[in-house]
Amino acid sequence: MGIRSIIHKMTAPSHQGESPSGPVKLVLIINHGLKMGKGKIAAQAGHASVQAMLKAGEKNPLALQAWLSSGQKKVCLKGDDANQLLALEQQAKEAGLLTSKIHDAGHTQIPSGSLTVLAIGPCQDDSVEKITGTLKLL
Amino acid sequence: MRELAKVGRVMSNSDDSPSMALIVRKDLGLSAGKMAVQCAHAAVSCTMASRKTNSRLMERWLNGGARKICFKVEDLQSLQRLAGQAQVAGLVTHIVKDAGHTEVEPGTITVLGIGPAPRRSIDALTSQLKPY
Repeated sequence: MGIRSIIHKMTAPSHQGESPSGPVKLVLIINHGLKMGKGKIAAQAGHASVQAMLKAGEKNPLALQAWLSSGQKKVCLKGDDANQLLALEQQAKEAGLLTSKIHDAGHTQIPSGSLTVLAIGPCQDDSVEKITGTLKLL
Repeated sequence: MRELAKVGRVMSNSDDSPSMALIVRKDLGLSAGKMAVQCAHAAVSCTMASRKTNSRLMERWLNGGARKICFKVEDLQSLQRLAGQAQVAGLVTHIVKDAGHTEVEPGTITVLGIGPAPRRSIDALTSQLKPY
């Protein structure tokens, strides 16, 4: 390795996404049209959070770090049906936010392949509130 | 011969895909949203913990669909007893204490996460519990 590439390595910006400047949260939007039980919802929310975390670890480690060290703030919101969740996913993607969708394997309660949860983030509070501000808490 | 034994072990393992148990206190009467958030917290923390200590098992857990099951217990004592049993068995555990911004007092223990662990270990611990 030449001296120039060493210097480049030391000074080049790392590809770690942007460092968040405000409080960070993860938003979980539950497909409420499916009539899942409480335990089922909890397990699905767990899937979504773990997947969102792993995704952020690859694509935006700085946001993940900020989220983990600030107490993993999560908010659980109510979505009407799968179409609404897909529309929100589209909006979040356009805003450059990370999203994760959970489709259930359908071993219990609901048909196989149903879209159960959409996770947005972890990202800055204000950027996700623009998209999910009108939804109700679950 | 040794090779064969190894293969046998691997085969029996693949049948036994790992699982995670989320154990919720029933007596707190948490709302669905609150409960989901608390369980998600347990799941994330357990995953972070086992990423360092047992990455191979975690890989298998993720590939096997990241199984999660939600159980209920009557009260704090039962939750702590289970946590003790799981720790004695050498499993990853995480106890969620709520910050208490809503619904419950600050510092209340709400959920216990166990795993990811081999399914038979989870089954042995939770055979007496009811699914939520």
